[in-house]
Amino acid sequence: MEAKVYSGMSNERVTIIDYGMGNIWSVLSALKYLDCNVIVSSDPLVIKESKTLLLPGVGSFRKAMKSLQELNLDKAIIESVQGDGNKILGICLGMQLLGTRSSEDGETAGLNLISASVEEFSVNEVGAFKIPHIGFDQVSSQDEAKLFKGLPGTPDFYFVHSFRMLPSGLSGISATCRYGTDFLAAYENDNVFATQFHPEKSQTNGLMLLRNFLAA
Amino acid sequence: MLSRNFRLQNVGNLEWLKDNYDFSRISYSIDELVVLDVTRGEKNLEDFCTALKFLTDGCFVPIAAGGGVNRIETARMLLRSGADKVVVNSELYTNNGLVEDLASEFGQQCLVGSMDIKMSADGLYQAWSENGMKCETGPAKFWIEKIINDPVGEIYLNSMDRDGTGQGFDLELLGLLPERVSKPIILAGGAGNASHLSEGLGDSRVDAVATANLFNFVGDGLKKARQSLVANGIVLPMWDVLLLERHLNPAGSNRDKVD
Repeated sequence: MEAKVYSGMSNERVTIIDYGMGNIWSVLSALKYLDCNVIVSSDPLVIKESKTLLLPGVGSFRKAMKSLQELNLDKAIIESVQGDGNKILGICLGMQLLGTRSSEDGETAGLNLISASVEEFSVNEVGAFKIPHIGFDQVSSQDEAKLFKGLPGTPDFYFVHSFRMLPSGLSGISATCRYGTDFLAAYENDNVFATQFHPEKSQTNGLMLLRNFLAA
Repeated sequence: MLSRNFRLQNVGNLEWLKDNYDFSRISYSIDELVVLDVTRGEKNLEDFCTALKFLTDGCFVPIAAGGGVNRIETARMLLRSGADKVVVNSELYTNNGLVEDLASEFGQQCLVGSMDIKMSADGLYQAWSENGMKCETGPAKFWIEKIINDPVGEIYLNSMDRDGTGQGFDLELLGLLPERVSKPIILAGGAGNASHLSEGLGDSRVDAVATANLFNFVGDGLKKARQSLVANGIVLPMWDVLLLERHLNPAGSNRDKVD
């Protein structure tokens, strides 16, 4: 299997998990801006041996899980993160895939690295707001959140999603966002990090957050 | 990017763009970028994708690209060249299932339905396709209602009469929208200064405004326009342009904070 390598000036090494569902270009471009050494790979062995993983994703949960399974990446990610303690950042659909399950496109189990399930925003929750939730929105971060170090208390980030995780009863809440209801905007628990928004599309706020993830 | 003042702006010339302004820096004044291939006749997708990559390098906002998207593969190429969303226009009128296919392949949120509207000689609004060359039968209101119900995530409503004039948006266009619209509306065509943008954003039917006017590209016109909108109480996302720079080099930069 093909792995593409991009060399930067810094010592940071990041592996972007390529399973055919991500907007890899923009994540790659942000990491290159941060001068990282980036590997784009769909090889389970590479994933298992990477200290820093990034799971992007746009599209349907079911298709994404299927694609991860076909490439044997689901087990590789779990072993790498749960077994070997390597750190991972899931972005947008990538965050949702780390959850327990989703009802998108039929019931599908997730990677179960975050103890939260993924459901569609309901009209009850959002009221007069439009679904999908598209655009920049402010998030409220926890004071001690590593991902938000050096950022203002309620920074703006770019969202585009119809499904969400809820923060209630969850440990590892890093930030929430209010869209009719409070939903989970960012998660961090030990070596598992995730954002529902797109840091790679959120100007300097997003670049700073990625920088914080690399340093965590 | 189109401007009627062709003596000042060399439309379509990437080298000109590169020499005359730092695009990645200007991008800090916008929340989203739309790049359209407005070549008439035969379009060269490969060239456009190269241009797209070139323009969007170092640009950390959502990017929508389009112009002549009439196949799934064209959309895929754009999405692989830096675009997050695909703008469709002429195909919205053809009824050949392409918009549905694109939505099922990439998701509705990935599609922006772009409509070019112009007032006809008898004072009725009509929709135009094929780079504004073909007038679609029936009133624009009919097409707007149809397209809002198509599987697209957002609607980009452009006034052909005002496009490139800098005389302000045609807010009358908004009267063509149904009472309750469930999708974001981006108003385009005619903005020439900050108060035009403010006028557009002040209308509750508008979720976003677009501008391709020359003032974007001269000096810090766009940055100042954004600052003036924020000063006038319009809620826009905020970021400190030098956030990262300051973090990496705390003692260094003493430039002013820019929002």
